[in-house]
Amino acid sequence: MRRRSQMASLVLPALAVVIVLLVLPLLYLLSFSFFDANDGPIAVGGFTVRNYKTILSDQYYWRIFGKTLALSAITTVLSASIGYSLAYFIWQQRRWQSLLLVITLSPLLISIVVSSYGWLALLGKNGLINQTLIRLGLVNAPLQLLYSNATIVVGLVHITLPFMVLSILAALERIEPAVQEAAATLGANRYRTQWSVILPLARPGFASGMSIVFCLSLSAYVTPAMLGPSGPNFVTTLIYNEFVTQLHWSTGAALAAILMTVALATVYVYVHVMTRADRLSGGARS
Amino acid sequence: MKYVWISFNAILLALVLAPIAIVILVSFGSREVVEFPPSAWSLRWYAFALSQESFVSSAINSAIVAVTATAIATPLALGAAMSIARVRFRGRDLVQTLLLAPLFIPAIVTSLALLLALSKFDVRAVSARLVAAHVLIVLPYLIRTVLASLTRLDAVLEDAASTLGAPPIRVFLHVTLPLIRAGMIAGILFALIISFDNVSVSLFLTTPRTNTLPIAILNYVEYNFDPSVAAVSTMLIVITATAAAFIERTVGLRAVAKG
Repeated sequence: MRRRSQMASLVLPALAVVIVLLVLPLLYLLSFSFFDANDGPIAVGGFTVRNYKTILSDQYYWRIFGKTLALSAITTVLSASIGYSLAYFIWQQRRWQSLLLVITLSPLLISIVVSSYGWLALLGKNGLINQTLIRLGLVNAPLQLLYSNATIVVGLVHITLPFMVLSILAALERIEPAVQEAAATLGANRYRTQWSVILPLARPGFASGMSIVFCLSLSAYVTPAMLGPSGPNFVTTLIYNEFVTQLHWSTGAALAAILMTVALATVYVYVHVMTRADRLSGGARS
Repeated sequence: MKYVWISFNAILLALVLAPIAIVILVSFGSREVVEFPPSAWSLRWYAFALSQESFVSSAINSAIVAVTATAIATPLALGAAMSIARVRFRGRDLVQTLLLAPLFIPAIVTSLALLLALSKFDVRAVSARLVAAHVLIVLPYLIRTVLASLTRLDAVLEDAASTLGAPPIRVFLHVTLPLIRAGMIAGILFALIISFDNVSVSLFLTTPRTNTLPIAILNYVEYNFDPSVAAVSTMLIVITATAAAFIERTVGLRAVAKG
């Protein structure tokens, strides 16, 4: 019994670090957002909800929040479609599985500044795409492919794809081969099996993949900063702007608190949906 | 139909690799502009990048931060994973959720919260701030990898050792640790990569004088667009690919990458 509690206490140092370096600072950030003003890092004045009022009553902030949510949602849907195709493809492979997986996971290993730089080189005025189009005579002058909302989505799909593929692949691998055989024996063709057997069984993979990807997209900074239109174009770049350029620390803290709430709500909804699904299926999934 | 399916996915995979491949090719160009394919080849941008004080010193900073943060986080993760894997204590799920929390709190928010809290307590040394932030982001990955290795390990082996009279610390050093070594090394390498690559968590904690490499790159491309960043990136890619190949050989990238 003593050994057990000794063993259990081994978790304490890590827990202390997370509480001191994350939980308490987050609470401090939260309290910071409810103060009138600040003197550098010290909040001064009294309790107020003014910072939130400022944000919620200003179209400017609503527009950027709306745009962030919309682009993240588009990213999530695209990442899920492409991710399913790749996950299914990799799942079917026997010989090349490991190599294909490493290629799919590569955006995760390469720093986001590096891959964003790659997109700049691909899509820029002198980039590969524009040069090819000009050489083929399809356009006369280089097209403006960079610094738009679409470029943000391209960059985000690229960096979030590994998480989507891993989640869906894990779900596919839990499907027993007999299920597919049974569908075939019962006369379902390939498309029918795909649509009414495989896809529904992969649903938990979609749920976890899509919630991770949505969270990651919301909180991405480098992609909108490097590939998006200039100026605050995303919640994250907005927060940076409020802090570093405008020096509106309280507003920045309130924006950060809102961003964190949305991200945690996404995780919560996911966990809630999953535990319900687990209960319905008798807790078969681990 | 089969070929359509295969080529569709081959194109998708090519697109995944495209930005990385083009960075490597562009880095060997010789002109001032980023062009593809380069009209002439050279290594001058490598020489230029290595002579740039901002890249070299920030790369050294990044390496120091990554190594220090991982060195601090590894024993923490080991202890946490041991108790989570081996003891069913009260509130275990909550503890586990808290330990993995840095994964789902937006990194930019973490960075901001640390800036405010550390400034309040007058922690002004940039290196200390960065290490604190990076310990947080590598900890969940390390805990996950160690936890996975421990769950795969047969607890009977540890039981046997302690039945034979080995004290807990000997069981740990002579049985548990050797058996999870491969997983741990892979986890540590992955943590180093994650820390070295991360931008968002350092965003508010660096100064123009003390920077990390990814942030130095970010600042550089804001005003310049020449192949020097491609040269730096290519060196980074080579280092990362070597580490990744090692991880893939030992426990598999999938096991450590699961977000």
